[in-house]
Formats: sequence, structure tokens, C-alpha cells
Amino acid sequence: MKVSFILNGEPVTVDVKPNETLLDTLRLKLNIKSVKRGCERAECGACTVLVDGRPTYSCNLLTAQVEGKEVTTLEGLRDDPIVKELTSKFVERGAIQCGFCTPGFIITAYALLKSGKELTPENVKKMLEGNICRCTGYKKIIEAVTAAAEALKK
Amino acid sequence: MALTEDPYTLISKWLHAKEFLVVGKGIARADALDKALGTAKFVEDYFQEGMLFVKQVLSTEPHAKILRVRDEEALKVPKVVKVFTARDIPGENQVGYALPDQPLIAEGKVRYHGELVALVAAEDIDAALRAAELVKVDYDPLPYVLDPLEALERKDVLVHEEVGSNIAFRTKVRKGNVEEGFSEADVIVENEYRTHHQDHVYLETEGALAIPGLDGRLTVVTAAQYPHLAQSIIARVLGVPASSIKVVVPFMGGGFGGKDDEGPLTAAKAALVAHLTGRPAFILYTREESLRMHPKREATIIKYKSGATKDGKLTAIDVKIIHDTGAYANRGPFILWRATVHASGPYEVPHARVEGYCVYTNKVYQGSFRGFGNPSVQFAAEMQMNELARKLGMDPVEFRLKNMLRPGSRTITNQLLEESVGIAEAVEKLAEKVNWAKRRAECESFKGRYRRGIGIGVAWHGISTSRGVPDWSNAYVKIDKDGSVSMFTGIVEMGQGSPNSSHRQIVAEILGAPLEKVKVVFGTSDAPDAGATHASRGTSIGAIGVLVAAARVRERLNKLAAELLGCKPEDVEIKNGVVRAKGTGKELSWDELIKQAYARGVDLSATGYFFLPKGKFNDELGQGQAYPAFSYVAMIAEVEVDTWTGKVRVLRIWPALAAGRIINPQQVEGQIEGAAVQGMGYVLMEQFVFDNKGRILNADLTDYVVPTTLDIPEIEKPVYVEDLFKYGPFGAKGVGEMALIPAPAAIAGAVSHALGKPITKLPLTPEAVYFELRKGGST
Repeated sequence: MKVSFILNGEPVTVDVKPNETLLDTLRLKLNIKSVKRGCERAECGACTVLVDGRPTYSCNLLTAQVEGKEVTTLEGLRDDPIVKELTSKFVERGAIQCGFCTPGFIITAYALLKSGKELTPENVKKMLEGNICRCTGYKKIIEAVTAAAEALKK
Repeated sequence: MALTEDPYTLISKWLHAKEFLVVGKGIARADALDKALGTAKFVEDYFQEGMLFVKQVLSTEPHAKILRVRDEEALKVPKVVKVFTARDIPGENQVGYALPDQPLIAEGKVRYHGELVALVAAEDIDAALRAAELVKVDYDPLPYVLDPLEALERKDVLVHEEVGSNIAFRTKVRKGNVEEGFSEADVIVENEYRTHHQDHVYLETEGALAIPGLDGRLTVVTAAQYPHLAQSIIARVLGVPASSIKVVVPFMGGGFGGKDDEGPLTAAKAALVAHLTGRPAFILYTREESLRMHPKREATIIKYKSGATKDGKLTAIDVKIIHDTGAYANRGPFILWRATVHASGPYEVPHARVEGYCVYTNKVYQGSFRGFGNPSVQFAAEMQMNELARKLGMDPVEFRLKNMLRPGSRTITNQLLEESVGIAEAVEKLAEKVNWAKRRAECESFKGRYRRGIGIGVAWHGISTSRGVPDWSNAYVKIDKDGSVSMFTGIVEMGQGSPNSSHRQIVAEILGAPLEKVKVVFGTSDAPDAGATHASRGTSIGAIGVLVAAARVRERLNKLAAELLGCKPEDVEIKNGVVRAKGTGKELSWDELIKQAYARGVDLSATGYFFLPKGKFNDELGQGQAYPAFSYVAMIAEVEVDTWTGKVRVLRIWPALAAGRIINPQQVEGQIEGAAVQGMGYVLMEQFVFDNKGRILNADLTDYVVPTTLDIPEIEKPVYVEDLFKYGPFGAKGVGEMALIPAPAAIAGAVSHALGKPITKLPLTPEAVYFELRKGGST
């Protein structure tokens, strides 16, 4: 079946199977590799994308469900000032080890910063709860997101 | 070879350097930005449609003869290419690491629920999945054994008949006379401890892509922690020389030891299909397959008796360690050795008897996982120390310090520790930082529903392979005409950062080249064999070769620069790309120096082979040099226990590390924080549920629960004692595993303190704590 949606600002139409997940369509048909396959069960968050601006697990969504919607991945946000601030803070603060979970964290954190919510370490933790990192113990990730928020305020 | 290129001289020269350009600084990793942007490539990123997809058929029996694998229905699925079984293997179907007991694909019988029985290759993923379901295996079920204590006794149910029992391996340590030691003791504590399996849950599951003919060989892109080991296992399975196999390990989405065991096997599966079909073949484990198949942290039963005098000196320990190794030995014997020789904890004990049993059962097998047999035995040893201190009426930190290893101490294998033993100082500083006695008293003032407790875990961990097993390092460096430097190593990048942080810093430090000109090419079997990226050796043993190779080239550059600048080689300074003759004001640029080297016939390539000197170890007596050096670690944890629900929250963790030189403090902190949280998950949350056929019931991340941001404690800045190791690069010892090792002891010790009860069994899930609290009618 054909599905049309907006991917990183550009309209795309892809031929997919009815049971195909957005994760597979992005990785295997649209060459979007920042979206990672971790658990395929909506637990780890490595496959997080934005659907109409909201962080969503792409492994838990059929491509057919995004018909007409806007899908955003890191590939489409590389020049965004919030993402630039986030990536530079992740690098500086040592928030990256194996890096497999990192794009998912950055997408989720981007949505948090974009929302304009007042940031406390507690709501940063709450917002990032749906992303698993097995390397860092999260401390430096939380510090990086908080530092990016501080820097963007100025 | 000129004297100045001797590795011992070079290692010692740089060990004693007085000031540093980049070593000791928290410099950002070379790979961080690519990873942040999602452009860093992992195995699956190399897969493209059109390549064969390989799917696994797993055993549904814990122990059974394989009568027949029926593939007729599977082969009817369009786009299915072939079904492969053990009999298709052209070389040896033998992949056991420590013992030759393990096939790549089950042959004759299966030994656990989840074992690989067949591989299906198809033109696309859906066809492979459908066909794998249609492969029918006829089994003749055999009696099976799941409990290691039962397995020890049974002679009628044998996981491996040829062994004659279910004991895969035994180890021992003997020191002094244990009976005499206990007769001198005023207090004796005796307990049985139990610890459980843990899964690595690396976010990237196992995968491999094998491409025949690329680069004139069969090239396998895979996530394995030791490319040269993957290369040799593939070669053995295919029956071809290792030189016809190339292994490339791109960025790896976490390893923690699991991909040291499973990585080469994953690679061999893809390689087998590619070799037999002549086509690129790709395999990727689902999370369920990963959780069911790959080796776990050892589950243990540890019987521990220890004695001490009333003035607080340990007199003897008597320890029996039983490891449930599951269906195969894998690295079980090495894991058991490590547990056995570390059984005392980092303490002086005059009399010791330790016996180890590695026992087969019909379950998923045990393997390498951060700490490698040590977290469980350090947990037992430290719980013993707490109980002894309580019986003696002594503070647990004071009691530990009275017995702690120091320079000049002898271990339970009678190894003399001459130097690099900084643990006593680390524990003293840590206790002071935490304000231990005061905080402990404060915890005891919590009396209501929520109780507080504080605990300490102190541990040691031998660097390099156990006993006399050979270990070495190597690397290859070259400088190109434009002044850019490439260092090639077999050490992989699995998140620990050694190639992209410490190796790069070591090269820049030694050559004086600007950091941005240094590239470390990692994880390739085309680099010289540097050993595995395991056992906390990436930046320690693994980087010795990096240091020696760079230092050899530096000696040549010093000589050349001295000629060009008219000074002595020892007066040449190279810093961040500027070459100076000390005190003369004369200088030239790095690029110019390299140009001159090419013009004047100076070889700017070198290898850095170093064979680690080791003492002798007598396996029969269990005596001798166990390791060339030890890293040491201590951790204090404060917890809150909800006595109504049994839920434990770790509030705060204070770590201390005596691991020699800290090359990159930011990366070391990252290792400590990550290991502490992984250790916390192990103690409080993570466990497998097996059914009565030994099948894992929670093979997914919904029911196998790991820590998230909401579970983590505050982790304080580490206390470092830089107790340099003479052969380590700049004196560095191992770091990666360290903070996981004392975590069970520290956290369980804190829970025990909060509850006023000894803890002997992990994990401390809410239900376990809830029932523990209600045992004996208290609270």
C-alpha cells in the first residue's frame, strides 16, 4: 500500500506492507539511520522520532498510521539551534558512550526544550524516562540537557 | 634494534613524565559528535535490501536428541534460499572458548531451550521469518537438570556425557592451614550466598554482515569485542586460513562482555551463509533472541566461612563457589578462576581454602559480563566482613582497614604485592568524604515506614588474564606526508572510549602532534593483534602497544629534530605541533618536521608489541602470581527502604578508585557512573524468570527491567588514588568493570543496615525485601 507523509519537511510516498513499522520504513526504505532498533517493543526509546512534534516510538507505529502526518528525525534537525546546543552539550559533558541511544535522547530532549516548559532536574528525568541508556548511568545526559536549556535561555 | 626503542625503556620513560599536554585532561571523545547526530555507523547501518537475511531456528527443548530437521515446508516459501544445519559446516563445528564442548549449530542433541538448531537464509526478511517458523525439528526429549546442586549429584542426567559428570571445571586456592586459622579465631561467621543471572542489555543486539570477496577476502562486519578472535573462529568453522578472513568492528552499541562471547559466534553464522552461497549475508538478533541465547552473568551459590580475632584480624576463610554454567563452559572456567583467586576480597588472610565448581545445567550458559565472576564473590566476602564487624562490635570500615592489602602484603595465592596498592588510602579518603560514622548514626535514627541504611563495598580486580595465561599488546602507527597520524588497533569502540579518547590522547601526548591530526583506526583484524577489549584492558594493557609504537616514532623524530635544530635529542620538545630546541628559541612546525622525515629517510611507521611479564602460578597448589597488578575500588551507598512495600531506593553513591593514572577523568567518571547504575539494576531490579523447562519467560525489555532516569541515585565525584602500575601506559590500570564490582556489596550492605538483618541473596526486588522483612515476624 502507498503511504504519503512529510519526512523532515519533504513530502514522501512509500510503498509499504500493511504490517510494516515506521522504524523499518525509515531504516530500510528511506535511508534514515539515526533511528535505531533497540527492543522493537516500545521500551528503550532508541527509535524515537517526532510525529507532528511529539516524541513517538517508531517501532510501535505502523507506517500506515502516519499518513498525512509530519515525521521528523535527527537528519532533519541538524541545523536546528536547539539540536546544535544539545549535541554540543552532549559532546562537552561526556554524555555519550556507545552512542546507540543518543539520537533517541536528543530527539526526546529536543521536544522537551521546544515545549518551553520550565526545566528542573526532576522533570528532565521524567521526560527522559522512556529512553534507556545502558552505558552512562544517565547522570551526564541529564546534566547535558539541563546545560543546553540554560544556554538556550541566554 | 636501538636501545631507545626497547619497550621497557620507553614505557618507563613515559611513566615518569612530569608534565602532560593532554593526558589527565577531560578531552571530548573523537566520536562524540557523529554519535550525537546519528551519523556514526553500527552493524545494521551497513545492511541493504538485496543482501541475504539470516534467521535462526532455536531449540524448544531443554535437553533432547535431534532426530531430524525437516525443511521441506520452509523451502516452499518464495524467496527462501536454503536452510543450514550442523552438517553444512565445512570446517569444525566447535566454538568452545575454554573447553571444546560447544558447537556453533547444535549437533546430535540440544542442551538448552533457545539453542541454535538451524539457520534460514532468504532474499528478504519476511520470507526468512516465515520459513524459520516452518522448519520442524523432531526431538527425542531427554531428562534434564536445571538446578546446579542437583546437577552436582546426578550421574544419570549428564549435559555432556563425555565428561562423566556435570562438573565442567574445578579450581582451588590453598594457603596456610585453615583449621589452625579457625582455631585462632574468636568469632566465626558462616553463610550461604546466592546470586542470579544478569543480562547485558546492550542497546544494539547482535548482528553481522559477511561479504565474500570484499578486499580479496571474506569480510565480516560485526559487533565482536575481539576482531582477531572472531577471525580465528570464523576460519575454524569454515575450514579456511585466518588470512582469508577479515573482521571489521564498526561502532558497537554496547558490549559489557556479552559481545566478547556472542560476537564471534554471530559473525561465524553470517560468514557460514556467505561462504556457502557466495552472497552477502546479514544476521540480526531480535531482542528476544538476544535475551534467550547469549551468555549471562554467572548465577552462583557461595558457601563462605570466615574467622577473626577479637582485635579484628582475619585468621582464615573457607569458601566453596558453585557457578551454574548452563549448557556450555564458554568462558566459565576463566570466570571461576577469577572468582576463586579474588575470594578473600582485598584483604590479608593468613589461611585460606577456596574451592570452585563450574557446573553444567540445561539452561542458557554463563559468560563474560563486566566484573567476570567477581561481583558475586566480592558480595559474599563483604557481607562476611560486615557480619564479622558486627559480632566484634567494630565499625565496618575500621575492621576492613585493619585487614586491607597494602604494598608488601601477600594475597591468598601468596602473591607478594610490591607496589601499586592504593586501596587503603582510597577507603580512608572516601570514609572521610562521606563522614561515614556520622552518616551511619543518622541513618539509624530513621524508625518509621521509611528506613535508611549505609553500606560499603571494597573490591579488587586483577588486571590482565588470570594466572600465567599469556597476555600482550600491540598496535601499528604511521604518519602520512601531510603530518596526519593513524594508529591502528584491534581494540574496539563499544562505548568505553579507549580508542577515541585515551588512545588518541596517548598518541598526541607522546608524538606532540596536534590532537586533531591523530586518528585511531579501531576494531580491525588488519591491525596487529592487541588482545580483546575485555577485562578493563582497553586503556591499560590494550594501550601499551599504542604507547610503545608512538614512542618508537617519537625517538626517531627527536633525533631528526635535533639534527635540524642543532641540539641534543633529549632537548627536543614537541608540543601541539610545534618542535623546539629547549632554551634556544629555535623551532619548526610539525608538518615541516614530517616533510623532512620523508625527505631524509626516517621511517615513520612502527609497531608496539609488548609481552606482559608474568609470574608462575601452580594450578595444583592454587598458589602463585595471579595477576601482574590489581585495580582497586570502593563504593559507599546510602539507601531508603519502604518497609511497607519492600521497595529500595538508592539515594546516593560515593565511589573511590585506585586504578593507576587517570588518562581522561571525564571518561573515567562515565565508566564509574554507568557501572554503578548497571550494578544497581543487578541488585534491585534485573532478574530472569525460568519455567520448569529452563525457558526464559521474560525475554523482552517489558519484563526484564533495567534502570531508567527515574531510578538513579546521586553519584558523587570519585576519589582517585593514582597508584601507578609500572607497565601500564603512563601507569594506567583497568577502569571499565571496576565500579560494578563493589555495587552489590555496597547496596546490599546498606539494605542490611537499614533492616538490621543480614542479606545473603540477590536480587533485592520489592517482593524479596517485603518477605525478608516479614520473616521471623519482625516489623
